[in-house]
Amino acid sequence: MEPIRKNHISRSDPERNPKGTPMAKSPDLDLGTSIIPKERYISKDFMEKEWDGIWTKVWLLGCREDQIPEPGDFICTNIGQESVLLVRQTNDEIKAFHNVCMHRGNRLADEGLWHADRFVCGYHGWTYDSDGTFVDIPDLETFPQGKPPCGGLVELPCDTWASFVWFNLNPDAEPLEEYLGDLIGHFEPYHFERMAMTRWVTAEWNCNWKASVDAFAETYHTAQTHPQLLWYLEDLDVQIDLYGKHSRYLVPFGLLSPRVESVGEIPPPLKAMLKSAGMDPASYEGSINEIRDAVQQHKRLTQEEQGKDFSDLHDEQLTDDYNYLVFPNVTTNTHSDDLMLFRHRPHPIDPNKMLFDVWMFELIPEGEEWPELPKHDYRPEGSKRSLGLVIDQDASNLASVQAGMQSAGYPGLWLSDQELRLRHFHKTISDYVGE
Amino acid sequence: MELNLKGKRAIIPGSTKGILKRVVEQLIDEGCDVALCSRSEDTVARTLRELSGGRGNAIGRACDVTNKEDYEAWIEEMVEQMGGVDIFIPGVSAGGGADSERNWWKSFEVDVLSTVRGCEIVTPHMRESGGGAITFITTTASVETFGGPQAYNAMKGSLLVYAKQLSQDIGKDNIRVNCVSPGPIYFEGGSWQMLKDTMTKWFAKIERDHPTGRLGTPEEVSNCIVFLSSPAASWVSGTNLMVDGGFTKRVQF
Repeated sequence: MEPIRKNHISRSDPERNPKGTPMAKSPDLDLGTSIIPKERYISKDFMEKEWDGIWTKVWLLGCREDQIPEPGDFICTNIGQESVLLVRQTNDEIKAFHNVCMHRGNRLADEGLWHADRFVCGYHGWTYDSDGTFVDIPDLETFPQGKPPCGGLVELPCDTWASFVWFNLNPDAEPLEEYLGDLIGHFEPYHFERMAMTRWVTAEWNCNWKASVDAFAETYHTAQTHPQLLWYLEDLDVQIDLYGKHSRYLVPFGLLSPRVESVGEIPPPLKAMLKSAGMDPASYEGSINEIRDAVQQHKRLTQEEQGKDFSDLHDEQLTDDYNYLVFPNVTTNTHSDDLMLFRHRPHPIDPNKMLFDVWMFELIPEGEEWPELPKHDYRPEGSKRSLGLVIDQDASNLASVQAGMQSAGYPGLWLSDQELRLRHFHKTISDYVGE
Repeated sequence: MELNLKGKRAIIPGSTKGILKRVVEQLIDEGCDVALCSRSEDTVARTLRELSGGRGNAIGRACDVTNKEDYEAWIEEMVEQMGGVDIFIPGVSAGGGADSERNWWKSFEVDVLSTVRGCEIVTPHMRESGGGAITFITTTASVETFGGPQAYNAMKGSLLVYAKQLSQDIGKDNIRVNCVSPGPIYFEGGSWQMLKDTMTKWFAKIERDHPTGRLGTPEEVSNCIVFLSSPAASWVSGTNLMVDGGFTKRVQF
């Protein structure tokens, strides 16, 4: 579908909110035009390079702080063939440990959210305190060499930021703040700590984890894959910003794509946007492409009565999708009233599979009660249950892409400027794996 | 069959796209003069350009059919410019929606009141020139449950009642009044194109619910509107013609 016009996209004045999320376009980088070899998506060799060069070196998102509020609360989360325990301590700190008993290598917990004052190995009963130290080794006198000198579970770097808990498999990792860099100033105005987690799903997908990241890093596929979104957002005039290893794009919401023409009535997705902003679509008299501006103004005017403090956000953030990749595997659809966060995890051994985590958050108006934390909803391979229309549409491409990439007739990714973030993503991967 | 439309003068508010635009094109092909309007001056200008050079003439200007003075003045102007009016086809609609009470006010104002006001202005002119034809564009959603209870369905339904009773009242003046009720009609730039993208499953169900598995085209409806508005339909008045490819399931005795 060829564009039929150029939309006028109003931009907020950054001077009105100098401490807000940076809006300026990052300098352009020349990343070339070469093919991205498909082996990066299908070969076990490359998967191993990623393990050594990326997964064991970078900061990884573990959970939300409020998922483990009390001492002894912990989450067990896997990355590749590793498994990690993130444990709330009696002094309120959070520590990360390898999830393995130092005796015979048994895992101490399965993936999920749990509580334990002590970790007891199910095999021989080796027992660890929640700070990881040995509490009891049954029949210790039968170990002539004594206890393992490590003193307990092997601890990993762990830190919190913006209500999230992060860990690193590299004991010598740089500080988290240094790793996240500029993104800290980008995210802080959204106040994720005011948002409640409402959904926690993990789905097994039949594709490489990078294919999944790719699907959330370009708007070029909107017209073919998500035609309904053409009636809701701008898919062409999209600002792409590259920041070191991370990247983002800014997608204006609340108007028609330049690929479609107004049919004179407000499309259902835009009606939903008006309603969720507290506006009546039947009373809206402006043009359809001015809904974005009208929603921004209405949300700004009514924020106090709605119990929502948007004072740190630019007007355009009240409608638009600021969409980030926190390298390597966290993508965020960042909005004023909600956060859709996806974690794209590699399969332990198969480059053709991955784990897709959906974490949804909603801004809770001041004074309103927070909902209960969501239970983990695990969708094994082949599950037909919907993850929502847009994600289902992406997922249906991805298994097909992974199958297609095996073809002798396909050399690799042939990318457009609209897919610049994918090229940047691969450049960062090259930097980490040393290619 | 001869439609005998040559030289007739038609007023068709809001006919810049879809079914009504096709009606305008067909009437011009048949040698009618046609007056049209739209809220946007640009749209009117573009449409008139597209229609220029046909057998009949197209005229028009921007007009808001919900503004009584503006709308009535527009009709009078068009009658004067064409030297009379033989055909009136009011079909402007506020569309569907069940968001708030406001939908009811809008449907009443746009769909019902503009039709009634238009009829009251054109009928004396038709009477004066010896007769005419009025054709309302109604909807299958008035005769069968469709898309949930809403103002659009009910207000279009009220036009069925008004049309029938108006036909009784002005039949003696040789003015016929009929309704054409289209089912879902697909065209580029129409609501059903948008619904195909935004409510894909529902759209597919609506397609399946048609005996032929597809939606209608503007031409398939405009053929019927043009016929009912032409002297060829001289013995048809007070009827409601369903043009839906067999989509509705009711038995029409």
